[in-house]
Parts: sequence; structure tokens; C-alpha cells
Amino acid sequence: MELLPQYVANGLVIGSFYALSALGLTLILGLMRVVNFAHGELYMMGGVIGWWATTRLGLDFFSGLLLVAVVLGLFGWLIDRFLIERIRDQGEEPGILLTIGLSIFLANTALLLVGTAPLKIESPLAGGPIFLGSVVLTKARLFAVAVSIVLMIATYLVIQRTRLGRAMRATFQDPMAAKLVGIKTANIYAGTFAMGTVIASLSGMLLGSIYSTQVSIGGLVSMKAFVVVILGGMGSFAGAIVGGLLLGLAEALWGGYVATGWVDIIGFVLVILTLLFRPYGLFAKRAERA
Amino acid sequence: MKFITLSISGLLFLNSAAFAAQPSGPIRIGVIQPMTGSVAYNGQAYVRGAKLAVAQRNATGGIGGRQVELQIEDGQCQPANSVNAAEKLIQRNKVPVLAGAFCSSATAAVMAVAEKYKIPLLSGVSSKADLTEKGMKYFFRSAETDRLMAKTFSKILAGDLKLKTVAYIGVNDDWGRGGVEDFEKYLNELGVKSVMKEYFDHGTTDYYTLLTKLRALNPDGVFVAAETQDGSILVKQLKEFGIETKVFGVGSWATSDFIGLTGEASEGIYAAVPYVSNMQGDRNRSFVENYQKQYKQLPGKYDASGYNSMNILMQAIERAGSDEPEKIRDALHKTDYDAPNGHFRFTEKGEGYGFDTVLVQIQGGKTNVITQAQTDKP
Repeated sequence: MELLPQYVANGLVIGSFYALSALGLTLILGLMRVVNFAHGELYMMGGVIGWWATTRLGLDFFSGLLLVAVVLGLFGWLIDRFLIERIRDQGEEPGILLTIGLSIFLANTALLLVGTAPLKIESPLAGGPIFLGSVVLTKARLFAVAVSIVLMIATYLVIQRTRLGRAMRATFQDPMAAKLVGIKTANIYAGTFAMGTVIASLSGMLLGSIYSTQVSIGGLVSMKAFVVVILGGMGSFAGAIVGGLLLGLAEALWGGYVATGWVDIIGFVLVILTLLFRPYGLFAKRAERA
Repeated sequence: MKFITLSISGLLFLNSAAFAAQPSGPIRIGVIQPMTGSVAYNGQAYVRGAKLAVAQRNATGGIGGRQVELQIEDGQCQPANSVNAAEKLIQRNKVPVLAGAFCSSATAAVMAVAEKYKIPLLSGVSSKADLTEKGMKYFFRSAETDRLMAKTFSKILAGDLKLKTVAYIGVNDDWGRGGVEDFEKYLNELGVKSVMKEYFDHGTTDYYTLLTKLRALNPDGVFVAAETQDGSILVKQLKEFGIETKVFGVGSWATSDFIGLTGEASEGIYAAVPYVSNMQGDRNRSFVENYQKQYKQLPGKYDASGYNSMNILMQAIERAGSDEPEKIRDALHKTDYDAPNGHFRFTEKGEGYGFDTVLVQIQGGKTNVITQAQTDKP
């Protein structure tokens, strides 16, 4: 039992990372109804470009983060304008095919350009352990958790408190009415996809500085992100955060008290239970969509 | 099926007839390695080594005046993809001999295909012990098994590191579990107590839960079976977590990539490996020199494995005096190859032995050889 505080701390740290890496996915799903299977690859691109900016261009961590945001924001915008635009309002299947194709294309292009080696991004706060009572943490982790929280709050505020956010919500509730009141819906779609891409890529770089990144990481990230999104409720903002924390805690406790070998089981058991008992997730706002 | 077999043997007949009359055209060697996917990094190292061996051979006239040509297919470490690759190499590219695959489960699948078409298959990587115990007549292995490593190094580890209690951590697959079991068995026989045995999944990024347990148990040493990526993250977090214990392991640990990725946290780690670039001997010195000239980096375990595999195959083809699969297989049994890391021979079951393995400690960002020991005939 004396290990419990440490397990909980581990779980909360991993959980907030899970929440952050699922946020972009749930945003695009909830607002645009696009199931983005290329989510993990956008995360990977953030890590790879961040690595390139900090080691090859010699930028510091925060300038690298800014560069990643700008480049991937533009990239997300272009993906929407040139690709997703073509399959808008045609149901979900074309979107699924498109994003699966995109994920294969991105992963293999990165493989060609960067190679298979794991890449290390230097964290701005390196160093040994910090002891909080009996709990061990590191500065780099606390920093990453703090940045995650800031990013989540910022995203929330943009969607809930700004004109842009209101235009977004209006567009996805009723595109026709939104157009009638003068919202340029094409820009809103592109902007939303760009925002989701930026969040995915920032988490890619941030977590790349804690662990390491490599071009083949996308699949694993997508898998965990989908677990979190299904757990929390498709497209629910609070759901992504609670789902992430829940998954992190469950994995840490299962690993701590049962066995670390089968830790990936726990996420899928949670998904199956959710689908059985609360098929729309813990935080789904409505049962059926208009 | 019968038709295919007939046409294949017909083609082989034509091939050999052509060879006997007038040697012409390149000799093809089929290679199945993961070029994409989670272990692509290591698969590509193997291919670098293989290409170097072939280039050297071709520069000195090839085999009997014929050039050697590699036909490389991506098996992705998956049994299904590796079988497809093997079928394609055998049927379409008409290779008389195969090298691969990387992961033990993929190799086991390809083994059956090679047996069916009677094409010799040499794996330089797959280390699951029972691969050579399946009664296959066309399978050879020029890699160390973990049992061999455990047997060779347990005494040195227990004695020199003065271990009384050890925790075991391994990747959750055939290889990782096998490595943990083998080392545990041999160390237990020497009176070393095991206090923890845990596994983690491929691609795990966060080991804090596992390390929390480890810190509470505080053993004298930790045994780890992991590849470069997983291993480097694990060791880094181990030091972050403030655990001061002796770490030793198997996997591709002592490579410059591992040290680069792990940074200072790699200091003092022991690794039992079949190859490091600073092994003793002139043959290794010239291999490292040539490799560096070609690729501007130091060779690791898998580079050496690709290099050795190709040389073993090419020498067998030369001894056979033909590129008929049957003759190559017979010639492979007579292998007596001077490698950068010792001397390779095969048992009747196709198990390689006689080569050297090393126990190294990472010091000052370099691998320091503690002992170099020859593997006995199993």
C-alpha cells in the first residue's frame, strides 16, 4: 500500500499525456464528424519536425514548439482545403478511407526522409528526480503536465469563449444557417482541422522530449487516442480529459498490482465495458446526432 | 501445386545446365528483413552489413566470375508478410537461397516455405531456441540463442558483480520471455535469488509503474531483455527515478545508437552481446574499417549479422560450385567461416556455434569489453 501514492502519481502523469494526445482527435471528430485515422501520424510529424528544428536548425525548445505549430497548422489547413473538402457531406466512409490513406502516405514519406532511427528531443528541463514525500517525479514530467494543462485550457477557451469558437460551433450545428448569417464555413472547417492538427503535433513534440519519437509511432498513438475518445464519449471535450486520466490510472494500478505484461488489455477492456453499458461514452452530450 | 513444383525444378535444371555449360548472369540471394514497421531500424542495419559483404565479394570477382545480386524484400517482422516475400522471391525472382527473417515468429513461418520448395534458409538473427529443433532440413542459424548467452555469462555475472538478488524485466514476446527464463534458470543454479519478474509490451514508453515496484524491492541487479528503442527509454527512466543498481541485459544494447539515445544514463551498464565494434582480432578491425568507410558509422550487432550471413552463404555457393539449392545446402553443412567475431560452424541441425560473444560495460560513452568467450557446440 505504501506504493499507492506513487502509482497514482504515475497514472495521473500518463493520463494527462493520454488526454492531450487524444484532444486533437476528439476535436475533429466532435466538430467535423471526421474520424481521423491519420491522427497518430500528425502526432509523429510534430515530434519529427520538433526534433529537426531543435537538433538540425539549432532552435531552442520553445521556438521549435512554435515552428511545429505554424508548420503543422498550415499543413492541416491545406489537408482540409485540398483533401477533406472533396469528401465533405458524403458520409463517414470516404473520410475513413481518406484518412487511412493519408496515414500510410505520411508514415512512409517520413520513413523515406528521416529513416527508422528513434529520435531524441532535448527537454528544456532535464535532470534527476524530485521527491515529494515518498513520490518521485521529474522536472521534465511536471513541465510536460503543466504545458498539457495550459494547452487544454487554451483550446477550451478558444472554442467556448471566442467569436471564432462560436462560429465553429454554429457551423457544425447547422452549416446552412451559419452560411446565412455570414460565416465563411470553408474557413471554419479548415481552421478546425488545422487546430486539431496543431494540438496533435504539439503533443507529439512535447512527449517526444519525455520519451523519444520515431516515424513508426503513429499507429500506437492512434490506438490509445481512440481508446480515450471512446471511453470519454465521441467528440466530448471533458470526456477526452476524464477518459485520458482514467486510462492512465487504470493502467498504472493494473501494472502495479497485477502485471505490467498485459497492460494494454486494460484499455480495451474499458472500451468493451463502455460500449456495453454506456455506448455513447461517459460524457456524450446526446444519444443521437441530428 | 504440382505444376509449380515441376516448373520450378525444370527451371532449376535449366539454370544448372546453363551454369555447367557457361557461367553467366548474376547469382541471386533472397533477403527477407523488416524494412518498415517497428523493428525496421534493426532490419536495415542487417541489410547494410549484407550489402557490404556482397560489394566486397563482387569487387574481387564475385563467385566463379559471376556477380552476386541481393534481392531484398520487406517482411515487416510479420509471419504473413514474410511468407509472401518468400513466395515471391522463390517463384518470381528464382533465388536459389534465402536469408532471413528477423523476428523468430516470422522465421518460423518462412522456414516451412523454404522446406516446401527445398531452398536453404539462413537466419542470422532469430534467436528463439527451438527453431532448430523442428526437424527442418533446409534451415540454418548463424545467431546466438539466449540459452547459449545465459550459459556463457551467468557465472561471470554472478561472480564479478557479486549479485545475491536479481529482478528480471523483459519485452513481452517469445524472445523476451525466453531470455528472462534462461538467465533466471542459470543464475538460480548459482544461488542468485529472483525477487521480481515483469514483462512490458513492445513500444511501451512509460515504465514508471514497473520502476516503482523495482525501487521498493531494491535488488542487487536488474536483468533486462529489450531492443534498442525500448531498452534506451527503460534505462533512462531507471536513472531518472533515482534507482542505483547494477543493470545488465541482452538485446542490441551496446551499439552507438543505444548509447546516443540513452545518454549518460547508459554509464556502467553491462550487456551480453554477440558483437561489438571493438572486439579483438584483425578480422574485426578490417571489417570495422571497411564498414566505416562505407557508412560513416560503427557497425552494430545486426550489421555484423548481415555481413556474416552473406559471407557464409557466398562461401557455401562457392564450395558448391553451383547455385543449385541442394548443393548449397550440402555445402552449408561444411561451413567453416572466419568471421570478424570468431569462427562459425553448423551442427547437423543447422545450429551455428564456435563464434565469440562478449560481455561489455559501457564506460565514458564507449563499450568496454570485459570478457570475450567462445560459444561451445550445443
